[in-house]
Amino acid sequence: MSTPAPTPIVTPLQTFVDLSALLTGIAAGNLAPSVDPKNIKQVYFNYAQQQAGATFDNLLKIYRENSTQPAGKIASLILDQSGPDIRFLARSVMLMWYLGSWYAPADLAKAGTDTPPPNSVVISSAAYTQGWAWNVAQAHPMGFSNFQFGYWASNPPTLIDFVGGNS
Amino acid sequence: MSATPSRSPTSPSPSAPAQYDVVIVGAGVSAAMIAKQLGLAGKKVLILEAGARIPSNNNDFMERFYKAVAKVPEVPYTPDIFTPSGSLSLTDPTTLNAGRPNTMTLDHSSWQDPSKAYMIQQGPLPFSSTYERIAGGTMRHWLGTSLRNVPNDFKMYSAYGKFVDWPLSYDDIEPWYEKAEWEIGVSADKSTQAYLGITFGSNYQYPMKPIPPSLVDDAVTKAVTGQNFEGIPLVVTETPAGRNSQPYQNRRVCAGNTNCIPICPIQAKYDPSVTLNAALDTGNVTLMVQTVANEIIVDKNGLVSQINYIQYEDNLGPATARGSVSAKRYVLASHAVETPKLCFMSTNGGKTPNGVANSSGQMGKNLMDHPLYLAWALAPQPVYGFRGPLATSGIESTRDGEFRKDRAAFRIEIGNEGWNFSIGDPWTTTLDFINGMNVSQLNPQPPATSAPQALWGPDLVKAMNDGLSRQFRLGFLVEQSPEESNYVTLSKTEYDHLGLPRPQIVYDLSPYTRAGFAAAKQAADAIFKMMGATQFTTSPAANDPSGFDVIIDGKPDRLKFFGAGHIVGTYRMGDDPTTSVVDANQRSWDHKNLFLVGSGTFCTVATANPTLTIAALALRAAQTVLEDLS
Repeated sequence: MSTPAPTPIVTPLQTFVDLSALLTGIAAGNLAPSVDPKNIKQVYFNYAQQQAGATFDNLLKIYRENSTQPAGKIASLILDQSGPDIRFLARSVMLMWYLGSWYAPADLAKAGTDTPPPNSVVISSAAYTQGWAWNVAQAHPMGFSNFQFGYWASNPPTLIDFVGGNS
Repeated sequence: MSATPSRSPTSPSPSAPAQYDVVIVGAGVSAAMIAKQLGLAGKKVLILEAGARIPSNNNDFMERFYKAVAKVPEVPYTPDIFTPSGSLSLTDPTTLNAGRPNTMTLDHSSWQDPSKAYMIQQGPLPFSSTYERIAGGTMRHWLGTSLRNVPNDFKMYSAYGKFVDWPLSYDDIEPWYEKAEWEIGVSADKSTQAYLGITFGSNYQYPMKPIPPSLVDDAVTKAVTGQNFEGIPLVVTETPAGRNSQPYQNRRVCAGNTNCIPICPIQAKYDPSVTLNAALDTGNVTLMVQTVANEIIVDKNGLVSQINYIQYEDNLGPATARGSVSAKRYVLASHAVETPKLCFMSTNGGKTPNGVANSSGQMGKNLMDHPLYLAWALAPQPVYGFRGPLATSGIESTRDGEFRKDRAAFRIEIGNEGWNFSIGDPWTTTLDFINGMNVSQLNPQPPATSAPQALWGPDLVKAMNDGLSRQFRLGFLVEQSPEESNYVTLSKTEYDHLGLPRPQIVYDLSPYTRAGFAAAKQAADAIFKMMGATQFTTSPAANDPSGFDVIIDGKPDRLKFFGAGHIVGTYRMGDDPTTSVVDANQRSWDHKNLFLVGSGTFCTVATANPTLTIAALALRAAQTVLEDLS
């Protein structure tokens, strides 16, 4: 991979986190907390880069070059206006954060609306246990609870407590 | 009569004591219960286990679970059901020394393919429950539900003119239920459990306080309390659970991992390794693993004189040794498929042509399960599933009544895992909303017919939260009638890697069972209506082998059943040696020093999850064996 032109402020990893926050709806500080011993962002960055190479670099470039635009415009650029390679890679990245699994863009592109699930692979046990789908349900990954006995008898913390942000 | 195990010289030697009072085949819950009691009484016990040892911790099981794409009940355990691990490519059971069935082999393309499915299924319907061959047994992935049978479950013929009575009454087994509840560690309060004739000893209390009900339970309770289904009051009851509500047996309190099946990550849920380790700690119990019993030898007096076995080091590798072992008493505890298989394999050179313990001809017959009807819906308000133990309450009031003269009874399990069991959520709904699909029917919900949307950002979070937080399901465990025409036998064409025949199954659902299943469907519809919930239960695909026909309100319908993992009835007990395999003490009618234990001895499947009754009967059998030996 060629060395990207110097970007004085934002590293590619930070661009990846910011892009991921925009697409997933999960606050960047939650995807990548300041104290981040699991460092899953780096795992996902490396995984996507290894799987998608130049397309991944292009995805980051689109975000970086438009990062001051409104969120809806950036999302539209990525998901609607930059072609299927970028669109399905972006969906792969979202699914990676939500489920800890890699769904290849080509398999997502082939999937019909009610077909069996596309092929996937669990990226790592840590990735599974950091899956955001369960947090969005105000719950926890099955088999990985940080809650205490009896928590299920009460309402969970609010959705914002789980996903961050102010929406 | 005790003897040194004789082994061929080519293998590493496990450290086995020279003499045994009892040899047990299988190392699941029944074996663990019996071995611990015998070991505590100073009796020398040898357990032959076909599969792997008890690991020192569950880390490898958890790692396999986390990395599995299909997190089915069998996936943490060995041998790996997928090759390579983490893929969806099924391990060929022909290559395994101790294979076993798994739930990935029930679809139309797999269920009758012997390179994928361990059991040789003859139909017309697939037998859909599975079992493990590993120390700790199938109860490694039990739910934890520790219900007692109700008194009429033991006397279906006397009470309703159906099937057979057990040779035991509720009162006979009640003290053993108490002992089993304390060995397992059951959380419940007897004031909530004394329904449909269930009684307790006057000074008895469960060992731990109950597990709190979930918000899903609360929503169902609020809607159905005071309501009836076909004249039966609908009463939600906390489920007695083999799951810690306080520290017990040096194990932690439940943290609500919502993962009882396939595996509790913190062992707050009991599994038989607890009792098995306690048995080994007596110093009188020896466990030989990767040791497959392959023939029971009977002497001229009709007594069992030895059990032959084959050992291996690698489940995919060659046999490494053959040997035999003798004892004063023998106990077969290999669950309801492998136990008949071993008996059928034991023809003694033609002296027992129909197998050991089979003068009645009943061996392998009356195979039963709880065919499970699964119904799922969205509650009108969030019920916050995917939290807590997989199930914390059920409707038990539907388990008994005059209706059992005409149709099968059922209990209703309230699920806390959203639509995980139902459609594989949250994966399915997540894929739907991110990739613009609609397998879940939530993107959009009927009656809308617009094209699925692919969402991002706050809209994605909102749509997923709205769907997932309102999901719940009900599971109906239907009492299957005992039928001689549902049976296990030996395949004459398919073998495992040791050259032993694989189990062959013939299985169907009777009109009585189907009528109960149809009633379950109607009850689901009624309960969802009471709750104001929107139902999403789907009909089975045309090629789904688990789809079957029922009549509902005079009209034909097609429903799908699941296995409940409750394999029952293949060597039933009774009062008559011509119609049963064992007596009320689980002793073979044919061979007085042989016991067959486990759910295979059940005369009927009733509606309770079977584990507590299995454990109680095992403890009772242990007492008989001890009396024999003293």
